[in-house]
Amino acid sequence: MDTFVDYYSVLGASPTASEDEIRQAFRLAARRFHPDVNKSPGSPLIFKDINSAYEVLSDRSRRDDYDVRYRQTLLEGPNLAVQTFFSRSHLKPISEPQLVYVLVKIQPAANRKIAVDAPLNMCLVVDRSKSMAGVRMQHVKTAAYRIIDGCKPTDLFSMVVFSDDAEVVIPAQHPEDHRGLKAMVSTIRPDGATAMLPGLQQGMAQIERNRASQYVNHMILITDGRTYGDEAECLALANKARENGIGISGMGIGEDWNDRFLDALAFQTGGSSAYVTSPEVVTKFLDERVRSLASACAERTRLIAAPAAEVELREMTRISPDAIALPVDQQPVSLGVLDGLVPSTVMLQFHVNTGGAEPGEFFVGRIDLSADLLGASSHAERIVKDITVSVSPDHFEEDPPTELLDALSKLMLYRLQDKAREAIEGGDIPQATRSLEYLATRLFEAGEEDLGNAALHEARRIAHTQVLSEEGAKKLKYGTRALMPQSGDKHG
Amino acid sequence: MVKCPYCQHQMMEGALFCEECGLSLWGDTQGEVSTKKLEEESNEFSVKSGWGTATFQDLNQVIIHVRDANEPITIRPATEFLIGRQDSASGIAPDLDLSGFGALEKGVSRLHAALRRGDEVLSIVDLDSANGTYLNGQRLAAHQPRLLRDGDEIRLGKLTLHIYFKQ
Repeated sequence: MDTFVDYYSVLGASPTASEDEIRQAFRLAARRFHPDVNKSPGSPLIFKDINSAYEVLSDRSRRDDYDVRYRQTLLEGPNLAVQTFFSRSHLKPISEPQLVYVLVKIQPAANRKIAVDAPLNMCLVVDRSKSMAGVRMQHVKTAAYRIIDGCKPTDLFSMVVFSDDAEVVIPAQHPEDHRGLKAMVSTIRPDGATAMLPGLQQGMAQIERNRASQYVNHMILITDGRTYGDEAECLALANKARENGIGISGMGIGEDWNDRFLDALAFQTGGSSAYVTSPEVVTKFLDERVRSLASACAERTRLIAAPAAEVELREMTRISPDAIALPVDQQPVSLGVLDGLVPSTVMLQFHVNTGGAEPGEFFVGRIDLSADLLGASSHAERIVKDITVSVSPDHFEEDPPTELLDALSKLMLYRLQDKAREAIEGGDIPQATRSLEYLATRLFEAGEEDLGNAALHEARRIAHTQVLSEEGAKKLKYGTRALMPQSGDKHG
Repeated sequence: MVKCPYCQHQMMEGALFCEECGLSLWGDTQGEVSTKKLEEESNEFSVKSGWGTATFQDLNQVIIHVRDANEPITIRPATEFLIGRQDSASGIAPDLDLSGFGALEKGVSRLHAALRRGDEVLSIVDLDSANGTYLNGQRLAAHQPRLLRDGDEIRLGKLTLHIYFKQ
């Protein structure tokens, strides 16, 4: 069964609209997203949809068929809820650009019990290079034992290690003989260098053997080093993984790995990444990762955010889980697996030019979310939602929603460290120093003394070295990221 | 356009946070009352050629110039160095007593502000003074330390001081 799409919301028409009204709605919608007018990266996809919707709804007999399905779906109700929170609902009728933030929150619909116990098809891909020797490897092994013990009989588990080359330690299987599997893990010996690509390839192969839509297919990569020369190929592999519905999460231990690369790898598939300073935290990260995967309610979550022609989508940031900047020019963006217990949130920043718009409703843009639901009722779902505000000459004192303010205040901290880092790369040390000091000030205000001191330390350091320390850069990045609200448990 | 009261960065209408310094432009921090004054003082301030160093080594001294005073004050602050106005009635004795500089008339509190030594830095914190502490023209929130730089201007109520670091 193909994905059900609410053609009425695609056209922005009422389900009781007359043929004339359908035509009018189509004209308006098509004008908004016509590729000649609207150059935003998401608009061609939206435009295509609008045409498909019109094809069906403008044909009496096809519309009748569609309406049967429409009513049935309406009765069942949506499985996912997409909420939007606006920084303001009123714009001024001025000709300079104005800022509108929109927080998009995605979670299972209320009163809707989505199965959250989909079996896992998981592969642990572990760096066993020489630098992992000792306590690091010991903790990775302990974490692996815990995962094996925590597996349900329906889960699939495999494990791959890599150094100069990759080998399969545990081929994909339903873990039955836990003791035997753990014995295999215990034989891993650190040696050699870090060549990531073969490890990822072997990991993919293990997952591919049983890849199916009823599983949450996921690869967890643990590394403490940089891979040389094959980063582009690793990213290409991640891209393929995403197409096949396989997520990748990455964890870096220590200071010597490439955080941007690992983030990119995880981002491509909607996975998450983490920085672990002490090996003891390995277990905690993996526990949380596995818990989150095991409570997944949907996968292949994709979001399109298409602004109106006179609006610019400036930034798009996933806030939860794991803050990461999403590319506005590569739509749809992948949000990966949707946790059934913790909502996913994305912050959109629009620059709106109302021009000489008449007071009244103003169309900012459209968001389009699609996801493959897991579990028994396994099917795809799509939700289309328009963002509109009012243009009004009157002055409105509005209280932005606390949820949005909270997310934004933390996002600002993350941005400041990003800004400092960019300034350093551009050779602008004074700007970087300022950004770091501002960051320190805000961190102290927020009571984050430890991170604040780290920011100050880096601010002083760059005057001499012109670069951030590897440790400081990671600490600030993952530290400010960890401050973001993880949306709490609002399920059910 | 809106202007950040903290760093003067210009932003779009509707911004909730300053993208340059991260200040929340929403809620209590948005001081409408003092906006005009801040602009004036910041203009004066921007004439200065850049920022001084923020590095404050262990053996450094602090030179404090009180505006219109003849002699600078040299101190070597301990971890916490209290600045204010001595008051024998209440028995309060700050580390630096500004009574001799017209502190009472100029609205300096008995315990007005403190210098704090950090790891190679010096910060200033307002101790919830009656008339406020200003750093380079910007009023500090009480009990929130701010980093000091060589050459910074501090105002306690209406008493202006300049801070210099000396090796």
